[in-house]
Amino acid sequence: MEKVIVAMQDPDMGMKMRNQRLLITVIPHAMTGRDVIDWLIQKYNICEEEALHVGGMLVRYGYIYPLKEPRSLVLRADETPYRFQTPYFWTSTRWPASELDYAIYLAKKNIRKQGELMEYEKERYSLLHKRINHTWDFVVMQAREQLRASKQRRKADRIVLECQEQAYWLINRPPVRSLTLHYSLTLCVCVCVCVCVCTCVFCLCLQIESCRRALGRNRVKSSICLEGFVKFSEQYQNHDPIMQGCLPSNPWISDDTAHWTMNSEIVPVPTRLRVERWSFSFMELLNDPIGRREFMTYLEKEFSAENLCFWQACEDIRHGESSKIIQKVEDVYKNFLAPGAARWVNIDSKTMDKTLEGIKHPHRFVMDDAQLHIYFLMKKDSYPRYLKSDLYKNMLAKAIVPQETKKSVFPFMRRQRHSSPSPAQAVTQVTEEDGRAMGAGKAGTNSAFSLFIVSSLTESKPELTFSLLQHFFLFPSVALISNPLSRM
Amino acid sequence: MPLVNNKVGDDCTVGTDKALADGKALVDSLIKVVACYRHLASCVGSCTDSLQLRDELRQTREKAQNLAVSICQHLTSHLRDKSLPEEQRKEMELLWVAFSSGLELLHVDMCKVFSMGDIFSLANSASLVQTGLQGGGSEVAARALSLPDLNQARAPEAGLESQERSTMEQEISQIDHMIDDMEMKVNVLRWMVEPHGPQYADPLSSTDSASLALLSVDEEQPGHQPQSQHSHMVVFVVLFAVVLVATTLSVCVVFFS
Repeated sequence: MEKVIVAMQDPDMGMKMRNQRLLITVIPHAMTGRDVIDWLIQKYNICEEEALHVGGMLVRYGYIYPLKEPRSLVLRADETPYRFQTPYFWTSTRWPASELDYAIYLAKKNIRKQGELMEYEKERYSLLHKRINHTWDFVVMQAREQLRASKQRRKADRIVLECQEQAYWLINRPPVRSLTLHYSLTLCVCVCVCVCVCTCVFCLCLQIESCRRALGRNRVKSSICLEGFVKFSEQYQNHDPIMQGCLPSNPWISDDTAHWTMNSEIVPVPTRLRVERWSFSFMELLNDPIGRREFMTYLEKEFSAENLCFWQACEDIRHGESSKIIQKVEDVYKNFLAPGAARWVNIDSKTMDKTLEGIKHPHRFVMDDAQLHIYFLMKKDSYPRYLKSDLYKNMLAKAIVPQETKKSVFPFMRRQRHSSPSPAQAVTQVTEEDGRAMGAGKAGTNSAFSLFIVSSLTESKPELTFSLLQHFFLFPSVALISNPLSRM
Repeated sequence: MPLVNNKVGDDCTVGTDKALADGKALVDSLIKVVACYRHLASCVGSCTDSLQLRDELRQTREKAQNLAVSICQHLTSHLRDKSLPEEQRKEMELLWVAFSSGLELLHVDMCKVFSMGDIFSLANSASLVQTGLQGGGSEVAARALSLPDLNQARAPEAGLESQERSTMEQEISQIDHMIDDMEMKVNVLRWMVEPHGPQYADPLSSTDSASLALLSVDEEQPGHQPQSQHSHMVVFVVLFAVVLVATTLSVCVVFFS
């Protein structure tokens, strides 16, 4: 935009200048809106609409300011006069308009004529007075000195300088407009007034948009969130190595890696805790390699193994190499989706159509919809049956429960099951008693943090809160030792 | 003995009072020079930009810098003096805060002038923006330098532009360092400083404000003018009617008596 302005200054090819007449004074270098548009059309060979747009931007960003109605920053294609803004006041991000400058400007305006400040300016003035109070003397003195300096110039120049400054501040601290929408805009207005750092009109519109979007967002009640959290912690309570200790012994303390070897990925016989976890959620089962293998065996018996194979293939596409995606999508289509395929999966027609469309331009996520459909199919149908099946029950019975290593002979060297003599141990009895007394039932477990929140939210149990606060610091370190807990 | 002690005490406070007054005078003049520099800086790149303006800018800037250096020394030496009494320290801190704000403004203005001097080189005067200003800033510069009239005989030489730019770069970095140094050496808690003046300052002398107010009425609220004219008209009409009534009454009195 700056180049355009500089091009306009050309004495031969530039803008035609007129004189502005104010009662007695005559000020040169004014131009009408029509002049601006005509010049833009002629110079850049564009249509009128585009010239109007470009000219409008010049006004909005402060390179040209209107003389008659300074607050309306639009370019009118008629006789309304405009003038160029001095380069000192050009919009620049390198030197943003500072609060100190704005305070000095408002002080000047006030000193010039008492009561000339508009409402929003008065509010901002008092806000600034609070914020940069320490330098207020300087602000007032600087304002006075600037006014005295400008008195040294002739009247016409003084008018021009005042207009320039006013235009600059109208752009950098735009007036707060009262609009007719409800909550979101009162919010925006409050934000604008309180946070005095708003820049242009565009930022206001952006704020309005983001407030509107925030209103429409999905929300979950915090009590529901926390109930879910409590359920999760209760379920995983016994599987947590810090809360329950890990068997046979904590490798970090006893230097015995039996725990890790017993729980590694592929093991002939998995531990009991691990098999129990498969019943918590479908994702747990799928994430465990042994679990997946078992599930596959079960599905083969039920003749619906193609579902799991399809799901696995889709996972492979999603997480695999980019170069092989196209090939893999082809294979999946051939094996699972093509009519008459060897292992045809049962997907509803809408998803099938969408997937087939997407296969024409394959990318990493084309199979997502179909994969999700099959996932839910397995989860609702096969998974509950698997948990009730003999296969699973046998697995559970076969699973080993490692023995805790015996304490060594020497009385001085105690191998501890827990990482430290945790306060959890000491307080467990207390909370259980309280829990039974209050009839809280399951709430008397060691899930400290969640209980603290839930108790304060649902029923107020101040007696519990203090003891539970002690649990607070244990909870974040839950997943330190064993495999990370998968998501619910 | 007590007399002697009192004398010593008086001298001490007198010394710091004088220092305070000196500091205040220096800071006041710095504020004045910064205001004038800003005023001149707003003309850079516009149609009134000329070698003379640049020269005036340079002179004002040098003056501001000399003032800044002396204030810096003065204030840092006094604020680091641990034996300063409490009220004096408060006053010094006020001065210090005003000084640092003035220095910030000066720094920003110098950077702007530097970069705009880059863009709007005087050699290509066709590209200067026509902003409507007509007069030069000589009177403002004269005010800044506290001279009754700027010595016009010292015509600025062309070709000094490049030299000027390198000195300017140095000066800007010097001011930068000064600001940093000040922050390091003197620990003034800004939230503890309380200003003297009221929130809304009194206007300048009535003549000044009246003339400037008229201008703003001219420019900003042309809508109000017809209204005031309207009220003037009403007043005229009323007066005229009163005069008319008075003359008819007197004529009647003369006629009937």
